[in-house]
Amino acid sequence: MPDISPRPSLPGIAPAPVKKGPRGEVIIYARWCKGCRICVEFCPPKVLAMDPGEDYPRVVLPEKCTACHFCDTHCPDLAIVVRKLD
Amino acid sequence: MNDHIREAHGLEVDEGQLPAEDWFERSETLQKLRRNKKFPTIWCSGCGIGVVMGALIRAIDHLGLKNDDVALVAGIGCSARMPIYMDYNTLHTTHGRALAFATGLKIARPDMKVIAIMGDGDALAIGGNHFIHAARRNMGITAIVINNSIYGMTGGQYSPTTPLNSRATTAPYGNIEPPFPICDLAVAAGASYVARSTVYHALELDKFISEAISKDGFSMVEAVSYCHTTYGRINKLGTAADMMRALKDTSISQTAYGNLSPEEKTNNTKIVRGNFVNIDRPQYTNSYSSLITRIQGGEQ
Repeated sequence: MPDISPRPSLPGIAPAPVKKGPRGEVIIYARWCKGCRICVEFCPPKVLAMDPGEDYPRVVLPEKCTACHFCDTHCPDLAIVVRKLD
Repeated sequence: MNDHIREAHGLEVDEGQLPAEDWFERSETLQKLRRNKKFPTIWCSGCGIGVVMGALIRAIDHLGLKNDDVALVAGIGCSARMPIYMDYNTLHTTHGRALAFATGLKIARPDMKVIAIMGDGDALAIGGNHFIHAARRNMGITAIVINNSIYGMTGGQYSPTTPLNSRATTAPYGNIEPPFPICDLAVAAGASYVARSTVYHALELDKFISEAISKDGFSMVEAVSYCHTTYGRINKLGTAADMMRALKDTSISQTAYGNLSPEEKTNNTKIVRGNFVNIDRPQYTNSYSSLITRIQGGEQ
């Protein structure tokens, strides 16, 4: 399976500062997911990406989630829950 | 990939996946689902009906109604499968007769919030008479009409809401019938509350559904959805995500529509989203109970 872990920061370049504002945690329930890609195509900060070997998405950039709740309100199979972090 | 396929091919089950019982506890919306049903749902991958189901659960939650005080009535079709998955009182009826059964239920139990869930063909073709007469009587029912422009479950025949010149399996050279404007029909028939939104605007849909449920008289919400499996395939409109993006681009809010010039309004081909009617008229079951009181020798 190809590596789809978060991109490592390049040497010599400081990691981007942590942005202010709400943060969220995306949980995907793969057993209910039918792989329609709606969450992947609409996620504004591109937190989600399709798993290359499977037919459901994975969280690839968890630190970028702003808890906008687009994916969990638009998931037709109710297979995503977004929890707002403190 | 489902577990049984995985096991049949000798692949190990993905670790970190919860059993379904734990997933139902994850959010308030998921707790309103019926646990003894088979999930995932029967709808095609990416179908907008699931979005309307989520919006309906959030709307009922927002109003703080108990599960026993809500009754969902559905007919036949893709959208009519929705109440099966939800943990309220439910009634699965014959094709087009959701509003007829809902009328009987409302008269027997006027205290109950009765919600009829119908597709476009179910509400306007097979059950067209029930739709206009429920609106005329101002029965205290909330009708949710999920408009996907086609008969999806039976294989893509054209329905009363298929747009002019678009294709269907029974109209391979283009549909020559103009579509029904559902909201205009409900307004003309006398509904107390009429609103329209799309599945892309899911939070707006929540708001309209919760306003419709709290309305005393006949309320109708048109949820514009899509059918990428039959309508989208025949008309070459792409995947579910493409059709959802098209709903964003081809709809216009009522405020933006009001700012257009008269020429632009007549040439408008976009879907207008908004609340078109919100009036108070005598509700049928109230008039009926006061009639009973009067005939039985009461003062009124």
